[in-house]
Amino acid sequence: MTMIAGIGFASPWLLLGLIVLPILWLLLRAIPPAPKRQPFPAVSLLLGLKDDESLSDRTPWWLLLLRMLAVAAAIIGLSGPVLNPAQQEGGAGPLLIVMDASWAGAPAWELTRTHIEAELTEAGRAGRPVALLRLTAPEPLQFLAAGQWARQLPGLLPQPWVAAPEQVASASEMIAAVEGGFDTLWLSDGIAMAGRAELVATLAERGEIEVYETGAPVIGLLPATYEDGAIALSALRSSGGLAQEVTVQAVGPDPSGTERALASAGLRFDTNATRAEVQLALPMELRARISRFEVLDLRSAGAVSLTDDRLRRREVALISAASSDEGLALLSPLHYLRQALEPTAELLEGALSDLLPANPDVVVLADVARLAPDQEAALVDWVEEGGLLLRFAGARLAASDTARDAEEPLMPVRLRIGGRSIGGAMSWGEPKALAPFAEGSPFFGLDIPAEVTVSSQVMAQPDPELAARVIAELNDGTPLVTRKALGQGQVILFHVTANAEWSTLPLSGLFVEMLERLAVSSAGKPPSADALEGTTWTATEVLDGFGRLRDADALAGVPGPDLIAAPAGPALQPGLYTSGSRAYARNVLREGEEIAPAVWPNWVPVMRFEGAEERPLGGILLSLTLVLMALDVAAALLVSGLWSPARVAGLVLAGGLALSALPEGTQAQELSPVELTSELTLAYVRTGDAEVDRTAQAGLQGLSNVLALRTSVEPAPPYGVDLERDELAFFPFLYWPVTGNQPMPSSEAYGRLNAYLRTGGMILFDTRDADLALTGATSPAARRLQQLALPLDIPPLEPMPPDHVLTRAFYLLQDFPGRHPRGEIWVEAAPPDAEQVEGLPFRNLNDGVTPVVIGGNDWAAAWAVDAENVPLYPVGRGFSGERQRELSRRFGINLLMHVLTGNYKSDQVHVPALLDRLGQ
Amino acid sequence: MSPSATSRAQAARGPAGQLRTRAEEAASVLPPLLVQAQQLAGAVLLGEHGRRRSGVGDDFWQYRPAAQGDSRRMIDHRRSARGDLQYVREREWQIAQTVHLWVDQGQSMRFSSDRNLPQKVTRARLMGLAMAVLMVRGGERVGLTGGRLPPRRGNMQILRMAEHFTSDEDMTPYAPPEHRALIPHARALFLSDFLGPFEELEVALSKAADRGLRGVLMQVLDPTEEAFPFAGRTRFEGPGDGTIHETLKASALRDRYLDRLAERRDALERLCRAAGWTFGIHHTGDSAQAGLLWLYHALERRT
Repeated sequence: MTMIAGIGFASPWLLLGLIVLPILWLLLRAIPPAPKRQPFPAVSLLLGLKDDESLSDRTPWWLLLLRMLAVAAAIIGLSGPVLNPAQQEGGAGPLLIVMDASWAGAPAWELTRTHIEAELTEAGRAGRPVALLRLTAPEPLQFLAAGQWARQLPGLLPQPWVAAPEQVASASEMIAAVEGGFDTLWLSDGIAMAGRAELVATLAERGEIEVYETGAPVIGLLPATYEDGAIALSALRSSGGLAQEVTVQAVGPDPSGTERALASAGLRFDTNATRAEVQLALPMELRARISRFEVLDLRSAGAVSLTDDRLRRREVALISAASSDEGLALLSPLHYLRQALEPTAELLEGALSDLLPANPDVVVLADVARLAPDQEAALVDWVEEGGLLLRFAGARLAASDTARDAEEPLMPVRLRIGGRSIGGAMSWGEPKALAPFAEGSPFFGLDIPAEVTVSSQVMAQPDPELAARVIAELNDGTPLVTRKALGQGQVILFHVTANAEWSTLPLSGLFVEMLERLAVSSAGKPPSADALEGTTWTATEVLDGFGRLRDADALAGVPGPDLIAAPAGPALQPGLYTSGSRAYARNVLREGEEIAPAVWPNWVPVMRFEGAEERPLGGILLSLTLVLMALDVAAALLVSGLWSPARVAGLVLAGGLALSALPEGTQAQELSPVELTSELTLAYVRTGDAEVDRTAQAGLQGLSNVLALRTSVEPAPPYGVDLERDELAFFPFLYWPVTGNQPMPSSEAYGRLNAYLRTGGMILFDTRDADLALTGATSPAARRLQQLALPLDIPPLEPMPPDHVLTRAFYLLQDFPGRHPRGEIWVEAAPPDAEQVEGLPFRNLNDGVTPVVIGGNDWAAAWAVDAENVPLYPVGRGFSGERQRELSRRFGINLLMHVLTGNYKSDQVHVPALLDRLGQ
Repeated sequence: MSPSATSRAQAARGPAGQLRTRAEEAASVLPPLLVQAQQLAGAVLLGEHGRRRSGVGDDFWQYRPAAQGDSRRMIDHRRSARGDLQYVREREWQIAQTVHLWVDQGQSMRFSSDRNLPQKVTRARLMGLAMAVLMVRGGERVGLTGGRLPPRRGNMQILRMAEHFTSDEDMTPYAPPEHRALIPHARALFLSDFLGPFEELEVALSKAADRGLRGVLMQVLDPTEEAFPFAGRTRFEGPGDGTIHETLKASALRDRYLDRLAERRDALERLCRAAGWTFGIHHTGDSAQAGLLWLYHALERRT
């Protein structure tokens, strides 16, 4: 590839074509654009006229330049220019590519992979065998053809840990197993790794080493802690230097369960600082939902900090039977619980019936013997749904007959009467100490202080299931703490009091630890390795190198202390671990760790990834050619006068106006509710057929004019209703022209329509086909009307009876023509008990307004007028046609009067009877 | 008759029939044209068709009650004796005029600037024939100049004239006015764009004036010939063999072209005034009706 000015050319000899440009210039310059031909008989008058200005008949220079540019771009584009072409590099023999492949390299992984691909391609060209070695997951070296590695490359991913010394050691062994020399290409993530220097030395024995690094500082997030009512977030970076700002997002499910950023905070690294901190104060509800913190736009396991229930404060409801007595605070059954739980849990106190609806995590009943039956049932329900009920014994419980004969749901065991007292003034024996916690007990591993003694307790009845339910016992084998599962929750009974009356347990630190292990309280600080002694944790979800959580399929359990103390590796992958009901989030970085930059021996060349990559320019230049040629066409037209600049500008303006007018057109009908309700507004349903909508608009306008002229109803200009969007409640009357292909309204729109009909609205359905569908034949509009009206809440209908109130609401009518004279009209059926009133022409009809009127006479067309109030459509012929139009207007007025005044005219029929009764 | 039957009938009559139909449509709204007899002494020919108004003639027209101002000798005593009133016997006015038509059928007339506009020649023929219809209905004798269609009366003459108008065989770029076979003291109507050589028109008009003819010149122009809405490099091509004028900047020519047009019009008007003729302008963009009305009034004008 030939290089000219930093740009490589695939076929440089094509550039010779540029020589023809000057020739082309001369040629094009001599050939002006063709004149416009215009037949013109009056040319006889033009003969002899000379042009005033001596305009050149040469092609204008700018048009020439445009064409030259187009041709030049085409020539250069075809010669295959490439920006930053890949440079050939020497090298022979096998090549080993070593990758750190830790989480620190994940953000730049794409770059690394591209680089490896390029190296592989090059090695493939040079025929060098290649081996790949990931230090985080070393595998025996295989020198294969580069093409094979290129296929496997997408499967090579960074791991969420940094290579531990033993992995480096095994990598060294694998290198040692290979014979012969090879060159090494080391793609480093830029953070320190134990044993790097030794590995470099080993590799240097075999051949040359070349190291690539991104050079950007590696950023990691430390686990979040909860301090003084706020979440403390800290981030680390591998090297100081310029000030830098990163954004940390708190991610968790929102109330609907979707993962989203709940909060974010900016972290600022000062110049030369490697650590940045920020405090994030969040409401408890929000805090409890946070599942992880992550650095925005940084895909790396180190930039993710998972949270467990340490951020979450449990809600504990404390309930005791004894009325609180100010003088005896230390004797209160709840005092020690309060002290133990206050730092780490939200305490709720009050009556059980008040607290249960708040759905606390834990309910503590201190010396409560009996509950009201309904409260007990509610409590059982709550426990079965996953609640933790913690009960303490006491004098009342000992004295009551709770769980004496039969096991109760809210008591793990049956109790003996009275309990026992040991080591007191009136008893023999010493107070009992606790036996070491058995394996399998949640307390297993806790140290038992010697001073913890128990002097009184309630006793469990021997029972076949008793042994399984004991989780702590005294050294004489009597149960101290018993537990049973109930539904998804559990019931735990401490057989001693919650105060120091019966035992010294509440005074000791063991009490707090036991509560923690029972997940009554959540620890504010990460547990120490010792505190997790004897527990086994299984991973539920683990992070991959990019910081994405995935299911931990079948990873082995991890001993508790390792979880805290051991560095992350294949056996201990960062992620979420659970043990029993406790959860622990193991992050990549632990509190107190630092991210140190990688250190290389002086003689190892460390290079940065090249930012610029190969970029072919041919496509850009060829498209530039096309654009220029299009411009040339326009310019040539302009020059030859076929296009005038004013016309082009006018077109552009018109286009712009049309575009800006489009939204205006759709918004033109938008009226505020205030405008719609300040005046009576007649409305029609927009069908989507522009012609029908225009007719309906003009028809209602005509009807409005007639109404204003003849009655006291003076409607505002009619309004086209979009059933999907508009509120219907503002309109007393809807005109609905039905077309054969009208779209069905959505179910929400039907909901609004039904509400509209129920609240007194009226819809006039007009199928506009009375001339076609006279004799019972059907039409597309009528069929559509059937479909449209099916979901509507329409009462039984009947053809309009001759004594309907519509026949006399304003005018006396018996015929209701529109543009078509004699279509039948259907209205709500009269009640079956309507009777003919003696001496009156009308039946005693129902109250209320018919919600629908259905007909097909095309009334809107008969009413329609233009802006000058001249009818738009012909009706009938001659005078009888005008009479028909008049009748249709009268029908419109009657209809509106019926809508607006209801059955007022119907009531008039009672006037004779009323007058008669008044004795007039 | 159904529409399809009508169109069949029209098709059967051919283009001449269609043109005549359209001309009659255009003429139907006007009252019969009464060409004023100017030179009673010379050119009056008493025809058998009355003018449907009282005047000098042989045929009985009407009895009317004698009014004040009627001389006693005008009273028709035979009629008056049958009642108490005195009647005057009136006779029908029977004077026929000869009108010569000349419609320019040269190539310069076969031009329209827009698809929606008629060609100038179409419009000129329509108006000429409409005038002919009017005049025949009024009893005049109508013919073409140049002896190809001597003036005659009757509807057959309209048909012949229409047939004559449908032929497009005149390939002259600018047709000179035909001034042969003019009947002295008749009237004449010349329809053309008058863009051709001016001298020929001068000759024709002076010859007509010598014979005592009065008449109307109507210039039929296309709107673009009036407005000259051109710009940019343009090659104007004249009719026929191609009188060509090429310009680099048509918009710069506009004012001078309009000056020349006005000049030509002035010359035409001067010529008309000198010969006692009337000059009018009609654009194909305007309605034919307006032009016809103007022609009607111009031919009726007593000069």
